[in-house]
Amino acid sequence: MTRVNAELLKTVEASGEFNAVACMNCGTCTALCPLGLTNLPREIFRDVVLGLEEKVLANVETVFSCLLCRMCQVNCPAEVKIADNVRTLRVHLNKTLHHL
Amino acid sequence: MKPETQSRIGIYVCHCGGNISDYVDVAQVAAAVAQEPGVTISRTHMFTCSDAAQQEIIKDIQEQKLNGLVIASCSPKLHMYTFRAMAERAGVNPYQYVQVNLREQDSWAHTHHRDEATRKGIALVKAGIAKSRLSEPLVPLRVNTKPRVLVVGGGVTGLKTALALSDLGIAVDVVERSERLGGWVADWKKLYPTGQDGQALVAELEQALAQRANIKVHTQAKVTGRSGNLGDFTIRIRTPQGEQDLNVGALVMATGFAAYAPLPQEFGFGLPGVVTLPELKKSLSRGEPLQTSDGRPVKTLAFIYCVGSRQKKTAAQPQVNTHCSRTCCTAAAHLGLNLTGAYPALRQYHLYRDVRTYGKHELIFGENREKGAVYVRFDEKEPPVVSTEGAQLRVKVKDTLTRREELEIAADLVVLVTGMLPRENAELINILKVPVDRNGFFKEIHPKLRPVETVMDGLFIAGAAQSPRLIGEAVSSALAAVSKCGALLKKGYVDLEPMIAVVKTDKCTGCNACLGVCPYQAIEKTVCDGRDQVTVIPFSCKGCGACVPLCPENALDVKGYTDEQMTAAITALAQEAAV
Repeated sequence: MTRVNAELLKTVEASGEFNAVACMNCGTCTALCPLGLTNLPREIFRDVVLGLEEKVLANVETVFSCLLCRMCQVNCPAEVKIADNVRTLRVHLNKTLHHL
Repeated sequence: MKPETQSRIGIYVCHCGGNISDYVDVAQVAAAVAQEPGVTISRTHMFTCSDAAQQEIIKDIQEQKLNGLVIASCSPKLHMYTFRAMAERAGVNPYQYVQVNLREQDSWAHTHHRDEATRKGIALVKAGIAKSRLSEPLVPLRVNTKPRVLVVGGGVTGLKTALALSDLGIAVDVVERSERLGGWVADWKKLYPTGQDGQALVAELEQALAQRANIKVHTQAKVTGRSGNLGDFTIRIRTPQGEQDLNVGALVMATGFAAYAPLPQEFGFGLPGVVTLPELKKSLSRGEPLQTSDGRPVKTLAFIYCVGSRQKKTAAQPQVNTHCSRTCCTAAAHLGLNLTGAYPALRQYHLYRDVRTYGKHELIFGENREKGAVYVRFDEKEPPVVSTEGAQLRVKVKDTLTRREELEIAADLVVLVTGMLPRENAELINILKVPVDRNGFFKEIHPKLRPVETVMDGLFIAGAAQSPRLIGEAVSSALAAVSKCGALLKKGYVDLEPMIAVVKTDKCTGCNACLGVCPYQAIEKTVCDGRDQVTVIPFSCKGCGACVPLCPENALDVKGYTDEQMTAAITALAQEAAV
């Protein structure tokens, strides 16, 4: 069982734009990913929104492996700025993990 | 009954352009019945329904002084009224016309047995002739309609019905059970999508109402009795001022909905801080702030959807609401957006089974997400569990959108998004005989093509009493009911089919066996020549015939389908079949 925590999203939002709340979980992004990433963006974004920090930290490599090709972003029906969100998430992780 | 010797019947057998004549030898049929007793003329036509054929038949009727007509063609569903009108134009009583279905019941059914089909055709036409010989002229029953309508329910649907009827020049009585008008909407502020104040909307309607001389409003009123029929009902109502009878031509049922009341412990209902959506809306509309049960500001809000809707039967709960209330997803999203506007720091979690913000309401669902509301989807088999830990409410939910992760939300307030139910109206439904569906909502005749009419003639339904709906949808159905009332009442009269049950007073013993089976309450006890008997209320009877076989004395008959006629028809068929 995991406690939902709204603070993580607030901290991530402090690093830049992050509009994953608009996601309606259709899975278009996952279907289109040329790298075949299974949990980025949808699942990891949702972990951020719900504040499941451990799950996010377990997937740092995935966050940095994204090519930022924007295939998902241009096709997102909920207009989530996916690639921009990944950048914001990277900034956040750099700050918190590597103190950059 | 007309003696057989006086029958002058014309027989017309139709080719139906080959539909019948490809399989049935229509000339042979016409020839075979030409010598039947009472038959004056027997012909065939390529298309009997064509204008030319009708002209010829009219000519025959007038020249040969025919008083009965048998047309062997298609189903009466297609052309009964065509030929009845033709008979009337020619001066034959339209109810002395008999249609024999030679197409659906013969040629189309027996395409591989032409000889047998012809033989069956002859038998069917002979049965029709037997029926026709015993037919009586009948006259439609004319009801003079009262240009007045009773509207039951003074919510937005009822008020809008009253105003629109008044616009048509039809007088209206509105009966409302409570002390004030406006129903639910009078308790709401900020309606979707305009943001208009519900109280202001009701005030606007009330103001318009006050300017109409032909609308009477009865508050704290109860319907206590009903008599009469379509076009001419007498409805008894009781108000604090006393009882009175209202004479109206039609009724519109606009009794609205009730909110589902959760059972104790259902999704934590009864715990401090667990409220229903209607309760919260009412409290916010009164101007109260969004706060916890002990008066602290709310930081985290959890909504639980589908409470009291789309339920599955279980051993513990055999009586459930199977319907989707369809308005609640939008109502919750709309409230969520309003709250985000008033409390920007508020965190919202919407726990749902499926989101049904149909049509334009999808936009509000999208906007609510964009503004930060988190939607969490649960499986109906694993619904959320609400508990308390000290003063803190905890909602546990398995989120199907997050790998079925079991999440725990520390909420300050839990809102149960309850569905719409019909109101408790057992007495009213019994008095007015309103048909209801399995969830208790009023039931229309046809969900698509006759959406506001009921099987009770002159009784129309509108608004959320029929099924869960939004204000605009309720008003649309109100206006549909108004147009049906107008069509019924504006002409001043309505003609009903005369094929109704009649009592043979010499045979009826007053055993009352027929009283219970009549679905229209059209049979009454009476005393005739000092003997107990029953009598049929002509305008209420629909001629269904349910009472006829039940009578141990054979004292009941349906006009146009008398026992004598049916026996003669069956005998003719049987004789032909035996050949």
